[in-house]
Amino acid sequence: MSSKSIGGGQKILVVDDEHMSDLMRSVLRRLETDGFRPIVIAPQGQHVSGDDYETQALFALETERPAAVLLDVRFGEYDTDRFKGLSILKKIVDRDSKMPVLMFTQYAQGPYRDTAVNASLNVSASVDFIDKLASPEEVVLRLRRLIGKAPATIKIGSLFELDAENAAVYAINGGRRDLIREIQGMKLEILSELAAASYRSEGELVPFSRLERFSEGEDSRASLRVRIRELKVSLGRAVSRDFGATELIINVRNRGYRLVHPDD
Amino acid sequence: MNERWLKLLRTGALAVAVIGLLLVVLSPAISEPLSPGTLWWIEPVAYVGAGIFMIGAIVTLTAIRLESRRKAADRDTRSWSQVTQDYFDTFAHDMGRPLRRILGKQREVRALLNETGEPTPRMVAELLDEIEQQAPNFRLMIENVRVLVNLEDQNAKPAVEPVDAAAIIRNISDRYRPIARDRGLDLIWWSEPGEFGLVYGDASALDHVVTNLVDNATKFANEHIEVRLTRNDAHFLVRVWDDGNGIAESHLAHIFDRGWTPELSARSEKQSSGLGLYIASSLSLRCGGQLVVESQHRNGGDSKDHHTMFTLSLPLDNRPVAAQ
Repeated sequence: MSSKSIGGGQKILVVDDEHMSDLMRSVLRRLETDGFRPIVIAPQGQHVSGDDYETQALFALETERPAAVLLDVRFGEYDTDRFKGLSILKKIVDRDSKMPVLMFTQYAQGPYRDTAVNASLNVSASVDFIDKLASPEEVVLRLRRLIGKAPATIKIGSLFELDAENAAVYAINGGRRDLIREIQGMKLEILSELAAASYRSEGELVPFSRLERFSEGEDSRASLRVRIRELKVSLGRAVSRDFGATELIINVRNRGYRLVHPDD
Repeated sequence: MNERWLKLLRTGALAVAVIGLLLVVLSPAISEPLSPGTLWWIEPVAYVGAGIFMIGAIVTLTAIRLESRRKAADRDTRSWSQVTQDYFDTFAHDMGRPLRRILGKQREVRALLNETGEPTPRMVAELLDEIEQQAPNFRLMIENVRVLVNLEDQNAKPAVEPVDAAAIIRNISDRYRPIARDRGLDLIWWSEPGEFGLVYGDASALDHVVTNLVDNATKFANEHIEVRLTRNDAHFLVRVWDDGNGIAESHLAHIFDRGWTPELSARSEKQSSGLGLYIASSLSLRCGGQLVVESQHRNGGDSKDHHTMFTLSLPLDNRPVAAQ
């Protein structure tokens, strides 16, 4: 998947007193690489407290209208700021209960997470917790899922584009988008199901039980196999490629199918 | 004696004492029909009543004392556990700080090296990879100790909250896929049905048990790891399967023992703490479920069926019956 297309320029509000640290810099860099626009809260002054972060974060929430918030739990060295992030979280949820918030914290599990879940949130809040030691890729992936479902257009490697809204698949040939007319109906639905699973999680398999509705006749697996072969042939023809058994759409040990993003 | 039996004993003894007291108070009325006009039975009835009252009263007082002692002990245990947990959280946070600095520096160095476009020397690349790969180990180690402290608290109860089990499995898969890839393994997961819905249980516990199982699988698999989430009428199941060489039958009985590792039986140096599977099993039981293992050992032959599969089974709804 083309990484720049993932974020689509969406703003991410970053509220963390360690925003200048190497660890945060690697996360910010990853956000930018994936096409997000991080808005970093950085109060100025000699004695910056958790309250300063809170004030600026809530102001930026109104003015910047971010797609999500990346929020630390512990701010500064003052005892009063030990769990300031939980109080900021509560205020964010009170103002906008649908705002996705990813708590980026040392306290991703355990009693403080439970406290936050039980006391600070309401049912509709879209809040998740991730450990400070998580890789930047994991942080961005989690943010992406918090923000929402698969976008209307999903890139499949740099060779194809699935436009779910207009029910169309395009081949990308040298920057040109060519509609692949023969992929329609069930073939399009199979590709959509596989592409959505792959967008949600690279390792997600679509088991046969979820694909059986696309098959016919007594031997549903054989029928499905035929449809998937036809689908791969159609996709391959559009980019002058021949996708083998271990490319693009693969049968994983008779458990189901998985989409693998093709190389350029 | 547990709390419920003590309460029953107290109630029963109180009832006996009340009966004894009633016999004393009502002895004239009881004796009248037995020996009309003579009142001969008053004293025996009153003495028996007093005896019953005394026994009931003594047992009631003893039960009350035992209950209050038990409550005081519970308070001590709880405060001990909370203090330990607080100390541990501070320790984990402070331990994490230098590690975050090392990890951050490693990522900066990697980014700078990538920017130059020059090939990275092998030893440098290996060092950077090693630092990155140790981060999940550290995360799991800290979590294991935190859960271990919590398991020591006999009064601690699992949380009951709405849990998106598929999201938890997906997150674990995302966390371990890069590690598996670096070790030449393919980690896949799926859920049936696709829209799995919510279950009611302890999200942290589910995350922790499955993380331990997947972490374990990445150490022993040869090529493939599968994580599958399914459900039946009363439970949801997480199966973690790997195509490793399997576990010898003589080892299977010890696999969930605290501190046991395969190296122990081989008398070689321990590669792990032997806590992960013990914690996973104990936590599963605490959450009203169970963790079982099934394995086909390679036995030095060419069998292609060798594998190990852990199955975690937890209730779909762990709320008290009244809340369901």
